[in-house]
Amino acid sequence: MRIAFTVNGVPREVDAPPLRRLLDILRDDLGLTGTKEGCGEGECGACSVLLDGALVQSCLVPAVQLSGCRIITIESLGSQTAPDPVQQGFLDEGAVQCGFCIPGMVLATHALLARNPKPNEEAIRAGLSGNICRCTGYERIVRAVQRAAESALPSTPIAKAVAATTARPQAAQGSVVHSPTTLEEALIVLRTSATGGAADGTGDRAADGAAETLSGLTILAGGTDLMLPGAQASPATGSVLDLSRVAGLAGVCIHKDIIELGSSTTVATLADNPDVDRYLPALATAARLFGAPAIRNRATLGGNLAGASPAADLPPALLALDAIVVLASASGRRDTPLDVYFTGYRQTVRRLDELIIAVRVTLPAPDTRQAFFKAGTRRAQSIARASVAGAARVDASGTLRSVRLAAGSVAPMPILLRETMRLLEGRVLDAKLIEEADRLAAAEITPIEDVRSNVAYRRFVTGRLVARFLREYCRP
Amino acid sequence: MAGTEDETTAGGVPRIVGTSPVRTDGWEKVSGQAMFIADLPLADAWIGGTLRSPVPRGRLRGIRRDPAFDWSRVSVVTAADLPGPNTVAMIREDHPVLAAEEVRFVAEAVALVAAPDPETLRAAIAAISLDIEGLPAVLTMEDALDGRIVIWGTSNILAEYCVSRGDVAAALHDADLVVEGEYRTGYQEHLYIETNGLVAIPHDGGAIEIVGSLQCPFYVRNALARGLALSPEQVIVRQVATGGAFGGKEDFPSVLAMHAAVLAQRCGRPVRMIYDRTEDIRATTKRHPSIVRHRTGVRRDGTIVGAEIDIVFDGGAYTTLSPVVLSRGILHAGGAYRIPAASIRGRAVATNTPPNGAFRGFGVPQTMFAIERQIDRIAATLGLDPLQVRRKNLLRTGDILPYGQVLEEDVGAEAVLERVVEISGYEAWHGKVGRSGASDGHGVSPVAVDGRGDSPRARDEQDGRSLARSGRRVRRGLGLSLFHHGSGFTGAGEDKIAGRVHVRLVPGPAGDADGVYEVLVSSTEMGQGAATVLCQIAAETLGVPLERVSMPLPDTSVVPDSGPTVASRTTMIVGRILVDACHDLAQRLTDARVAGERGPVTGKAVYQPTPGLAWDEVAYHGDAYKAYAWGADVVEVEVDEDTLEVSPVRAWAVVEIGKAVHPVLAAGQVEGGTLQGFGWACLEEIKSSGGRFLNDRMATYIVPTALDAPPITVEIIELPHPRGPLGAKGLGELPIDGPAPAFAAAVTDALGLFPCELPITPERLLALQDGPPTDLASAAESP
Ligand SMILES: Cc1cc2nc3c(=O)[nH]c(=O)nc-3n(C[C@H](O)[C@H](O)[C@H](O)COP(=O)(O)OP(=O)(O)OC[C@H]3O[C@@H](n4cnc5c(N)ncnc54)[C@H](O)[C@@H]3O)c2cc1C
Ligand code: FES
Ligand code: FES
Repeated sequence: MRIAFTVNGVPREVDAPPLRRLLDILRDDLGLTGTKEGCGEGECGACSVLLDGALVQSCLVPAVQLSGCRIITIESLGSQTAPDPVQQGFLDEGAVQCGFCIPGMVLATHALLARNPKPNEEAIRAGLSGNICRCTGYERIVRAVQRAAESALPSTPIAKAVAATTARPQAAQGSVVHSPTTLEEALIVLRTSATGGAADGTGDRAADGAAETLSGLTILAGGTDLMLPGAQASPATGSVLDLSRVAGLAGVCIHKDIIELGSSTTVATLADNPDVDRYLPALATAARLFGAPAIRNRATLGGNLAGASPAADLPPALLALDAIVVLASASGRRDTPLDVYFTGYRQTVRRLDELIIAVRVTLPAPDTRQAFFKAGTRRAQSIARASVAGAARVDASGTLRSVRLAAGSVAPMPILLRETMRLLEGRVLDAKLIEEADRLAAAEITPIEDVRSNVAYRRFVTGRLVARFLREYCRP
Repeated sequence: MAGTEDETTAGGVPRIVGTSPVRTDGWEKVSGQAMFIADLPLADAWIGGTLRSPVPRGRLRGIRRDPAFDWSRVSVVTAADLPGPNTVAMIREDHPVLAAEEVRFVAEAVALVAAPDPETLRAAIAAISLDIEGLPAVLTMEDALDGRIVIWGTSNILAEYCVSRGDVAAALHDADLVVEGEYRTGYQEHLYIETNGLVAIPHDGGAIEIVGSLQCPFYVRNALARGLALSPEQVIVRQVATGGAFGGKEDFPSVLAMHAAVLAQRCGRPVRMIYDRTEDIRATTKRHPSIVRHRTGVRRDGTIVGAEIDIVFDGGAYTTLSPVVLSRGILHAGGAYRIPAASIRGRAVATNTPPNGAFRGFGVPQTMFAIERQIDRIAATLGLDPLQVRRKNLLRTGDILPYGQVLEEDVGAEAVLERVVEISGYEAWHGKVGRSGASDGHGVSPVAVDGRGDSPRARDEQDGRSLARSGRRVRRGLGLSLFHHGSGFTGAGEDKIAGRVHVRLVPGPAGDADGVYEVLVSSTEMGQGAATVLCQIAAETLGVPLERVSMPLPDTSVVPDSGPTVASRTTMIVGRILVDACHDLAQRLTDARVAGERGPVTGKAVYQPTPGLAWDEVAYHGDAYKAYAWGADVVEVEVDEDTLEVSPVRAWAVVEIGKAVHPVLAAGQVEGGTLQGFGWACLEEIKSSGGRFLNDRMATYIVPTALDAPPITVEIIELPHPRGPLGAKGLGELPIDGPAPAFAAAVTDALGLFPCELPITPERLLALQDGPPTDLASAAESP
C-alpha cells in the first residue's frame, strides 16, 4: 500500500506491505540509518523515534499506521557546528561509548524533556528506562540529560502535516488493509471476514463458526504484541484490520457511577489520567509499572485483554476491580464480567467476529482500598514473575467486605484468588488472618516453572503480596 | 580527577594526557552518522544465513535438500564444500567451520546459505533437513569431570594448570582453622546492543575482504588465511564502527568471517551476515560458568596461612580461548591477598554446549567472586569484620604472589580499600549496627558524601518504582570487595605478539605545520575510547594539538599489527609502543627534512620486552603481568522482604590505574563495567533445557535498565607505573571483577543469608531462606 507521512519535516511516500516495520522503512526505504536495530522486539530502544511527538520503538510500528504521521529521527537534530542541546549534553558529559544506543537515547531524552522540562534523577531514569545501554552504566547519560535540561531546548522540527489518507481495502502484495474510521465499519469488516471473506458475500453464517474462517484477518491495535517476530502467522499475505483510526475507541469517561475505558486507550493514558488515578489506583499502578515509556505510548487496554497472556499486568488489576468487558459485533453488544472472560491459556470467551470495545468498572465505594504489586524481572521493561492486585472495603470496625484478590503469572490465565477472598470476607484483620491468607493464596494457585521463575517462588511471592495488601492497605 | 589544564608539556603545548576532551568519535555517534556494519550500503550483496544443529550431540548422517526448492536461486555450503581445512584457527584447531561428522552443541553451524533476500533465504534454510542420530551428551561440568561420556580428548579436559607455592599441607595443618567454601557462577551474555555482523567481499584470485564489527582484525585475518588456504596478504580485514564488544567480538568474528567468506566465494558476490538477537545469543560465546572450591587455613585473628583452590570452568564444545581465560582466572584466584602457601588447580572442561570465550574480565570475575566470598566466610566464621580480614591480608609492595611474582611497584590495594571505605561511610554503617551477618535489618544509612541527599536513595515519589515501593518492608545492607587485574597479556604473551605501531605525518598545504598525524594500529575503538586515548598519548608525546592527530579505523592491509584489543592492554602496552613510535617519527622527520624530502614520514616502533621480567610457562611461575590495577567497591542494596528482590541502590568504586589518560572516559569504563558486574550478580541468567538456551531474547535475558542501575560514585587514584605510557596501567576489565562479590556481601549484610552462587535471584534467595540455616561455623573444620 502507498503511505504518505513526513519524516523530519519532509513529506515522504512509500509503497509498503501494511505490517512492514517503520524501522525498515526508515533504514532500507529511506536510507536513514541513524535509527538502529538492537533486538527487533521492543526491548532495547535503539530504534526509538518520535511519532507525532510521542516516543515509540520503530521496530514495533507497522506501516499501515503511519499515514499522515509526523516522524522525527536522529537525522533531524543539530549539526556538528551547532549540536542540539541534548547531543551537546551527551558530548560534554562523556555519555557516549560505543554509540549504538545513543540515537535512541537522544530521542528518548527529547520526549522526556518535552513532557517534563526539569526532571529529577528518578524521572530521568524512568524516562530512559526503555533504552538499554550496555556500555555506560547510565551514570553519565543521566548527567547529560540533567545538563540538557538546563539549556533551552529548541522545539523539534514540526512538519506541515500531510493529510492522512484513510486506507481503503486494497490489495497490496496479496494482503488487504482495512483502516475504518467508525466502529460500525470495523464490525462489518470483522463479520465479513468471520463469515468467509468478502468473496462469499453471504455474511449470514453463525458467528460461532467463525474460528475456521477468520484466520486470515489480523486485528491491529498498538502492535506491541502483534509486531513481535513470529507473532503473525503470515505477515505478507493476511489482511489487517487496523483499529487505530476508529473514532471513539480511545479515552476515559465517567457516566454516573461507571467509569468506562475505551479499548484503544493506551497504557500511557491509564498511567496519567487523573480519573483513573483517583478511582482506580490499582489500575493506574499497573499501568505505571508496565513496560517503559515507548511501550506505554503504544500498548492498548484492548490489546492487553485480547492477548490474554497469563502474565499481562492490566487483567489482575481489573479483576480486582470487578471490571466488565464490552464486546461488540455487527449483531450486537454484550457485557462480560472479566472473571468469566478468560477461559484458559490465552483463551477467552470473545468470538472471532467480536471486538473488545471498552472496559467498564463501577466506581469503587470511597472506603475501598486497592493496590497492585508486580514482582517483575527488573524495574522496567519487566514481565511479572507474579503479580497481585487487591480491592477491599474496610468498615469502621475493621471488617473486610467485598474482598477481591487477583493474581497474574501464577496460573494459565489471570485469576481471582477465590479461596483467599472467601477466607477474608466479613472477617476482621489480625496477624493470624494475614498469615492464613498468605498461606491460602500460595496454595490455591497453579504456577509453573518457566524461563522467568519457578513454582516455589511464585507461591511464596503471591502469598506475601496478598499479605502485603492486607497489612499495608487494609488496616482500619 | 580534575584535568590539569594549566600544565604544559615540554613543547609549550597544553597537557593533553590527564584531560578529558570530547571523544574523537563523539559527534558521529550522537548524530547517528557513525556507520555500523548494518548501515553500509551494499547494493549487490546477498544475505547469509546458517542452519544449526537442533541437538546437543549427534552423528550427522546426512544433509538433505528438498528437491522441490529451486536451488539455483541460492548458494549453499556444507562441510564437504569448504575450500580449506575445516577449522577456525584459534588456540587450537578443534573448532570446525561447519560440523562434519558430529554435531557437538545446540546451534552449531551445519550448513550455510546465501540468498538475494531474506524471504528466499528463509525458504532455502527451511528446505534443508538434517539427518542426525542423537548421541548421549555432556551438559554439565560435573558430567564432564566424571568422564563417563567422553566428548573431547581422552578426559573432557580442555586445559589444566596448577600453581603452587610453599607447603600447603603443612600450612593447613598448622592453621587454627580451615574454612571451606564452594562458589558457583553462571553464564553471562555480552549483549552488546549491536549484534555480531560482517560482510565478506570476494576479490580476484581468491582474495577476500572482511568488513565488520570486530575487536581483533588480525585474529580474523589469520583465521581466514588458514581456513581459506590463502596467504595473509590475500585477506584484508577492516573494522567499522562497533556497537560494543566486551570480548564478544574477540574470538567469535573469526567463525562468522569464515562463514561469510566461504559463502562469498561460492556465490561470487559480497555476503552480509548480521545475526538477529536470538541467533546471537544462541550461537556466540558467553562468560564461562564456574565452580570454585576454597580451603583456606587461617589463624584466629584472620591471618591467611595457606590456601587450596580448585577451579573448574565450563568451556563448551570447543577450545576457543578457554585455556587463556582459565589461566588468567587461576592467576587471580588468590585475590588481592597475601597467601604464604598456596596450591591452585584449574581445569576447563568440554561440554556439549556452545563454546564459551572472551568476556571482559576473562576468567577473573569468576575466581574473584569466589575468593571475595571466601574472605567474607572467613570473617563470619571467625566473628570478625570482613573489612578487618581484608586489611590484615591485603597485598603490599614487596609481597609475593602465589606464582612467585614479587610486587615491586606501588601496590594500590590499601589505597583503594581505605578510600572506598571512607567515601562510602562503610565503617560508620557497620559501627552502628554491628558486624555483618549478626544484625537484623538496618534502618540506618551510610554517611552522605556528595550531596546526593542524606539517605542513600532519597528519591521522589514520582515514578512507578517509588510507587511500587512505598511503605515496603525493606532491608538494607552494605557490602565490600577488593580486587585487582593484571594489565596486558599473561606471561610471555606480549613478547610473542611483539606489537608494532606506526605514526605517520601527512604534510598539509603549508607543509608539516598544518600536517596531520595518523596513529596506525590494529587496536580497535569499540566504545571504550581507544581512539581518543591513543590520539591523546600521541599528541602529548609529539607536542601537537589533539585536533591534528587521528586514528583511522584499522585495515589490515594498511596498519601494522599492534596486537588484539583485549586484556586491558591497549592503553598500557600499545600506548607505550606508540610513545616510542612518536619519538621515532620525530627523529625521522628531522632527518627527512634535513635531507630535503617533503612527503609523508612514518615513525615506527615495536614492543620492547621488559628487562628483568620472566615467566616460566611450564612451571607456571614468574612475572605473570607487567602491572596490576587495583579496585575496591562498596554497594548498598535494598532487599524487599516480601519479594526477595534485591537492587543495588548506591555504589562506590575506587580504582588505582597508574594514570588516567582521559579521566572522563576512565570513569565511564568503571561505571559501565560496574553495572555489567551488578547485572551478572543479580539479573543475568541463562537457563538451559537439554543443552538449549531458554533465555535467548532480550525479553528473557535481563540486563539492567537505567532504573535498575544505582548511582555510581567513581574515584580514580593514580600511582604512576614505570612501564606504562606516562604511568598508565590497564583499566578496561578491572571494574567488572568487584561488583558481584560486593553485591553478595551486601545481601549477606541485609538478610543474614550467605549466597554462594550467581546470579542472586529471588528464587535462589528463597531457596536459601527455606533451606537449612547457613551455619557458617560448621563450614570450618579444625584439623
Ligand atoms: C517491550 C515490551 C514490554 C511489555 N511490557 C508489558 C508489561 O509490562 N505488562 C504487560 O501486561 N504487557 C507488556 N507487554 C505486552 C503488550 O505491550 C501488551 O499486551 C499490550 O497491551 C498489547 O496491546 P497492543 O495494543 O499493542 O496490542 P496488539 O499487539 O495490537 O494486539 C494484541 C492482540 O490483541 C488483539 N486485539 C487488539 N485489540 C483488540 C480489540 N480491541 N479487540 C479484539 N482483539 C484485539 C490483536 O489481534 C492481537 O491478537 C510488553 C510488550 C513489549 C514488546
Ligand atoms: S530494535 Fe530494540 S526496541 Fe526496536
Ligand atoms: S554507548 Fe554502547 S550501548 Fe550505550
